[in-house]
Amino acid sequence: MLSASSAPVVASADTVIEVCDVRTRFGTAVVHDGVSLGVRRGEIFALAGASGCGKSTLLREIILLQRPESGSIRVFGKDVIGLSDEEALPLRRHWGVMFERGALFGALTVAENVGLPLREHTRLGDRFIDEIAAVKIALTGLPPSAGARHPAELSGGMRKRAALARAIALDPSLLFLDEPTAGLDPLSASGFDDLVRHLKDLLGLTILMITHDLDLLWRVADRVAFMVDGRIAGVGTMQELAGSELPLIREYFHGPRGRGAREQAWKRR
Amino acid sequence: MPPSAPEALERDADVEIDAAAVRCVGAWTVGSIATLEGRLSRLAWPSDRELVIDASGVVAMDTAGAWLLRRTMQALEREGRTVRVEGLRSEHRALADLLATPAVAAAVAGQPATPGWLARLGRAAVQTVTQSLEMLSFVGEASLVALRSIARPARIRWRPILYNVRTAGFDALPISGLLCFLMGIVIAYQGATQLRRYGANIFVADLVGLAMLRELSPLLTAIIVAGRSGSAYAAQIGTMKVTEEVDALRTVGIAPIELLVLPKIAALAIALPLLTVYADVLGVAGGMVMAKTELDVGYEDFLDRLQYALRLSDFLVGIGKAPVFAAIIALVGCFQGFQVVGDAESVGHRTTVSVVQSIFLVIVADAAFSVVFNAIGI
Repeated sequence: MLSASSAPVVASADTVIEVCDVRTRFGTAVVHDGVSLGVRRGEIFALAGASGCGKSTLLREIILLQRPESGSIRVFGKDVIGLSDEEALPLRRHWGVMFERGALFGALTVAENVGLPLREHTRLGDRFIDEIAAVKIALTGLPPSAGARHPAELSGGMRKRAALARAIALDPSLLFLDEPTAGLDPLSASGFDDLVRHLKDLLGLTILMITHDLDLLWRVADRVAFMVDGRIAGVGTMQELAGSELPLIREYFHGPRGRGAREQAWKRR
Repeated sequence: MPPSAPEALERDADVEIDAAAVRCVGAWTVGSIATLEGRLSRLAWPSDRELVIDASGVVAMDTAGAWLLRRTMQALEREGRTVRVEGLRSEHRALADLLATPAVAAAVAGQPATPGWLARLGRAAVQTVTQSLEMLSFVGEASLVALRSIARPARIRWRPILYNVRTAGFDALPISGLLCFLMGIVIAYQGATQLRRYGANIFVADLVGLAMLRELSPLLTAIIVAGRSGSAYAAQIGTMKVTEEVDALRTVGIAPIELLVLPKIAALAIALPLLTVYADVLGVAGGMVMAKTELDVGYEDFLDRLQYALRLSDFLVGIGKAPVFAAIIALVGCFQGFQVVGDAESVGHRTTVSVVQSIFLVIVADAAFSVVFNAIGI
C-alpha cells in the first residue's frame, strides 16, 4: 500500500504512534510540510530519506524533545504535544531511545549507565539492579568486562550496543533507534541488524528507527516511510517502495548501492 | 496509562506459598516487582527437596521479572534443592530460557568487585608520580620546540601570539585593574588605623607602594590570569583533543605544541608583565584615594613620599616575577589540556585541575622568589 503524503492515518487500537499533519519550521526553512504516518504495534518501522530531510527532527518531536509548529502526535493513544514533564513521565518510562552517537554518560561506567533508569524509576535493590544491568549488557552482545568500562574506552560498535542496553533498561514496549548502524563497519552493522530483530522478537518491542542504511532497511524493517523534503513520499514494505514510480525513490533504491543491498538481502533471507 | 501497559491494571508480582503449592502470580515486570524483590529473601519456602513452582498465574513478564525468577531458582538450587517451574506461558518461557544461558550467567558473575582502599591509595600515588613525570617531559618538549622555533624565527606564529595578547592581556585590564585598585584601598585602610596611632600618616605611601609593587600586583594579576586564561587554555586544548583536532594537526604535519602552546606562552610572557605594571598603577592609586580620605595625606605628598620609599629594584622585582608566573600558567593550562582523555567530563575535570595547580604553583614560586631576593638582599 502506497499512501499519498498527507492521507489521514487510520487510527486504531493497534497504532502505537500516530503522526498527523505535522508542520515544522526553523526560521524560514520548512522542515516538515505536513507529515503523517502511523506505526503499528509490534512492527519495525523505518524512517528513511536523504540527510537533512527532517527525519531526526521528527523523531525528536515524537520523543518530546522538540515541538512542531502544528499538527498532532499521539503515542500510545496519548497526545504528546505540550505535555508537561510530569505528564510525560509515564510515557517516557515506556519507551527507550538510542541516540545516534550513543549519548552515554561519560562520567559513569557502562553498567552504571544501564542501571541509571532503573535506579531512578524503580525501588529495586542495588544488587538486583546491577544484575539486571549485567543481563541487559549480555543481551546486547557485549562481553561481561564491558560493564566496568567507561564509554570513552569502548569502540564505536560497542558504544552503540551499550546505548541499546541502556535504551532497553526499563523493558520498554517502544524503542526508538536513531541511525543505529551509522559509523559501524559492515560486519558490526550486520551484527546489529540481527540484534535488533532478535530483541524485537524476544521483548515484543515496537521499533521506530531512523536510518539510511539500505541493508538495515532490506533486512530488518517491516515497513518503511520514505521522506523527501519534509514530506512522506511513500510508505510500504521495501518491496512496495522499490516498485514505486516516484523518481526520487527510484533513484534511492535503484542506485548501485541500493541494488547491492537488495541482492544481499535476498541471499540472506 | 498507555494501552501497552496492561500490567498497570494487574496486581504486583507475588509468590504465594501454602501447604499445597508455591504459586507465582501477578505481573512480573520491572515496575511491579520491587516489593517482592525486597522480601523474597525472607520468604518461608517449603522444606521439600523437590520444589515445583506453579507460574500459571503470571500475567506479564519482562526481562527484569524473568531475572528475578531465575535468580530465585538459583538461590534455591544452591541450597541443594531441585526446582521446576511449570505453567509459564510460552513467550515468558522463551525469556526465562534466554536468561538461563551461560552467556548471561557469565555476565552477572563477571561483574568486577570495587577496589579496596589500599588499591585506591596505591593507584592515586602512582597517578601522582606519573603526572609529575609527564609534566616534566611536557616542559622539556615545549622547551625543545621553543628553541627550534627561535632558531628559525620565520616559523614563529605572530598572529596567534597577538590574538592571545589581546584576550589574555588587554581583555583582562578592567578586572585586574579594579581588583588591584580595591586591594590598594584595603591595604591603606588597614594600615591607616595603625599608622595614625603613631602619627606616622605619611608612611602609608611606603606601605602601599612596597606591598603593591613587590608582592600583591604580580600575585593578584597572575591569579586572575590563571583563572581567566589558564582555564581557557586547558578547556580549548582539551576539547580539541576530544574531537581529535589535535591528532588532525599532527597528520597535516603541524606540531600541536608549536601551534597551540608556544604562542600562548609567548603571549602571556608579554601580557602578564604589562598587566602587572597597570595593576601597580591602579593599586597605588587606590592607596592614594584612601590615604587622602582617611589620613589626610594629599596626592602630592603621597607621590612625593613614594619617590623616597621605592627603589627601582622594588619595581623590577615585581615585574621580573611576572614572566615566570606567565610560563607556569601557560604550561600548566596547556599540559592539563593535553591530559584530557575521552569525554566532556574529562575536559571539565582537567580545567579545574589546571586552575588549582597553576595558582598553587604561582604562590609557591612567589615564596621561592621572596627567599631568594631576601638572601641576595634586594
